[in-house]
Amino acid sequence: MSVAWVGSQPVSLTDAIRNAAKLLGSSRCPVFTLDADVHGTRSAIALAERLGGAYDHAMGEVLAREVALFTDHGGMFTTPGEARRRSSLIVIVGDIPAAHHDLLQAWAGSQPDLGDRHKRSWFHIDGADTPRAATFARKLKATPLRAEGQSLGSVLGVLRAGLQNRATAVSVSNFDRFRKALAGALFPVFVFSGASGEAPGLVMLQGLIADLNKTGRASSVFLPADDDAWGTALTSLWMTGFPPRTGFSNSLPSYDPGRWDIQRMIRDKEADLHVWMSTRGGETPPKGGRIALISLSKTDAPTPGAKVTISVGKPGIDHDAVSYSSRIGTFRAVPAGKPSELPNISSIINRLAEALPGQRALPC
Amino acid sequence: MLIRLTGGEVVDPVNGATSKRDVWIRDGVLADAAKGEKPDEIHDVSGCIVMAGAIDIHSHIGGGNVNTARLLLPEHHRAHQPRPANTPLSNAGWSTFQTGTLYAQMGFTTVVEPAMPPYTALHTHLELADIPIIDKATLAILGNDDFTLSLLRNNKSTAMLDDYIAWVVGSTRALGVKVINAGAAAAFKENVRSFSLDDVVPEYGLSSRKIVKSLQASVNRLGIPHPLHVHANNLGIAGSADTAAATIAASEGVPMHLAHLQFYGYGTGGKRKFSSEAARLAEAVNGNPDVTIDIGQVMFGQTVTISSDVMRQFSAIGNANPKKTVIMDGDGNGGGGIVPYRYKQDYYGSLQWAVGLELFLLIDDPWRVFFTTDHPNGAPFTAYPELFELLMSSDARDAKSTELNATALGMTTLASVRREYTLEEIAIMTRAAPAKLLGLKDRGHLGTGAIADVAVYRKGKDIAKMFREAALVFKNGDLVVKNGKVTHYRFGKTLRLNPPPDKAMVKRMQAFHEERYGLSLDWFTFPDSAIHREDPFAEVPWNS
Ligand SMILES: [Zn+2]
Repeated sequence: MSVAWVGSQPVSLTDAIRNAAKLLGSSRCPVFTLDADVHGTRSAIALAERLGGAYDHAMGEVLAREVALFTDHGGMFTTPGEARRRSSLIVIVGDIPAAHHDLLQAWAGSQPDLGDRHKRSWFHIDGADTPRAATFARKLKATPLRAEGQSLGSVLGVLRAGLQNRATAVSVSNFDRFRKALAGALFPVFVFSGASGEAPGLVMLQGLIADLNKTGRASSVFLPADDDAWGTALTSLWMTGFPPRTGFSNSLPSYDPGRWDIQRMIRDKEADLHVWMSTRGGETPPKGGRIALISLSKTDAPTPGAKVTISVGKPGIDHDAVSYSSRIGTFRAVPAGKPSELPNISSIINRLAEALPGQRALPC
Repeated sequence: MLIRLTGGEVVDPVNGATSKRDVWIRDGVLADAAKGEKPDEIHDVSGCIVMAGAIDIHSHIGGGNVNTARLLLPEHHRAHQPRPANTPLSNAGWSTFQTGTLYAQMGFTTVVEPAMPPYTALHTHLELADIPIIDKATLAILGNDDFTLSLLRNNKSTAMLDDYIAWVVGSTRALGVKVINAGAAAAFKENVRSFSLDDVVPEYGLSSRKIVKSLQASVNRLGIPHPLHVHANNLGIAGSADTAAATIAASEGVPMHLAHLQFYGYGTGGKRKFSSEAARLAEAVNGNPDVTIDIGQVMFGQTVTISSDVMRQFSAIGNANPKKTVIMDGDGNGGGGIVPYRYKQDYYGSLQWAVGLELFLLIDDPWRVFFTTDHPNGAPFTAYPELFELLMSSDARDAKSTELNATALGMTTLASVRREYTLEEIAIMTRAAPAKLLGLKDRGHLGTGAIADVAVYRKGKDIAKMFREAALVFKNGDLVVKNGKVTHYRFGKTLRLNPPPDKAMVKRMQAFHEERYGLSLDWFTFPDSAIHREDPFAEVPWNS
């Protein structure tokens, strides 16, 4: 089975590395779409720094929204473990990605053993703009909090005002039950994701939680829209001081979600080479923009349109990985689920770096 | 490889009086003078001071909370960016890479991250491993977690507590144990808003004192070289000096380290009910040989406070500058708060600045007072050179004092204290004493057999400049800094204890995590290979 291609021709891995390094070496502005575990991300960022490139995650759009909640506002948070053990009132906010449904169902099947130890009850704040959210919430027997035709952000605003006894033009279903439940719970927890809704809604949610903390306690569990993307953001932060979207010029990193939006850079021909990673398998690079493409993806065929394709393993499946896990709210060492010969991204990137003019090893 | 440093003035109080002598390095270790052997490298260091590499015992350089601070404040890191240079990621804001670079340039070769939540140990170690040049170490936080508190509530045996602590220290690769506002994080989750030494955690009926005393005794019984590292209650509050004094008194003949004492040096005197109690605390420390302290000096300007003391950080939200914060109710010992803050030269800032200096100058024994700004809580560690100058020059203190709030300074003894630290005292406080306090016998001095961590400073009138830009720095014998700039990147180790886990405790931990978190224990632990560096850890022996 082939693991490397130049164009559509199968080649040896060494040839593919040499060809890719040649493209990288002559690129004026390479951009990187990341999809890797911590160590793949570390290597990729180190390579981007050396080449003066920019990087973003494959899920960059929703990641940027999640990052912005912190860079612009902050908030009050707790961990999934603490919520499970301590919170007898869970409030789901908008749409929670399917990847996290198991986690919430596990909470539903357990009892708090700390704090008030009440039987767990569930609410769901829903907006007209989060149509998929209700189905899952019903499975958890969550009491819906919604207002006819209102977006999630405005429902949150109405709830916040209502909890402060301010008059509101619209009313939210089950509001009185909600208020009573809040009053009876020692540590209510709101569960949200970057996919829950637009940024102002997330800020409004944090405002509501801040209000509750004036006299009692409440917190939130942040379940990233994509765990790997969040892991990449955290890794980027310690390596460069900045979250994605970040780019390097004169070896100085700069964080600028607009300037380093690599889809835009590709469209506007600011970038001249795209290093595209896809370890999830079965994905194709985003369309629009015709610049040279190096594909590092879990594939058994050349990526359409790529000058070089190198097949890589999926972290935690083909090889051991270190990944962010929202089950525990931090990094986890994940042993390979189904070890294979497919190389990991980090080793490929290190080989690319060594094949570049200058032949220096990466610091990661 | 044989290296000779010749012509320098060697300041190494552990091994004798300061004198002009050669220093020899053979294969990464300090060696006796090699007679009749030609060194591979000779460095003429005439006009320079030669010291062991410095050791920082308390600096928040990596882990979840530090990283959240980066996330909250990209503009802060942008402001810290230096000029471009030709080194990998060395200009990357307030990054791991820059942390190692900046420390090394000042002649620091070992730094301790003092606050690692056990459940996020992997994250902490991933960051520490990416800090180049220097060696690192970290302390595991205990004292707010359900397991510890349940053991104490249920009057389980001290042996079981010891087994648990040994398991935590071993599995998290820690060098010691820290307790942070013992019990307060647990109490805060039940809406308790203030918490002092004899206050009780509702869920467990345990006082903060009981938690501290239990952990202190356990650390001592286990033979962990570093005494329990205590972040006391009531940090930053007017009147906190009473809490600090009571905590010092509670050491009761067993070693205890009190972190960032400056933040507890406050009384309730004066019109603003915020006064200096530094003289009183210094006296308490002087009179209690079991206690060591570090200062947590405040320097002026923008910084960000990063603390696992979630109750305290929550109460500081109103003072955030800029107005954004993260408060985290973490698992047991995790969590905390990130609150950006600007120390102004107003009444409060001036008083805090003076309290730190009073403590430095009024505590007599340089073996028991440690040089920290609680980076970045009192100031970023990059302010160290200026702080050295303030300690070594009463003129420098006087000059700075003229810029500050006179009423505040009038509430302190600072102007009357004329002590100036000698280079020997600096060498003890920042080299020999930290090594002793942490149980690192292989460093902190320049005796034969010690690892060749050496800092060479060009002597000059400008003390801050001297300490900001080391002339030469060697790490394990590798020349890493020349004329204040990193010339060679290498990666150090994270120093850890490695107690063998008690089998019954491991079983208990497996059952506990499965029952309480619905996850097997391996979700919370990790193999060394997860760090992806060759031999990322080095073991430090226990006290027998
Ligand atoms: Zn600290």
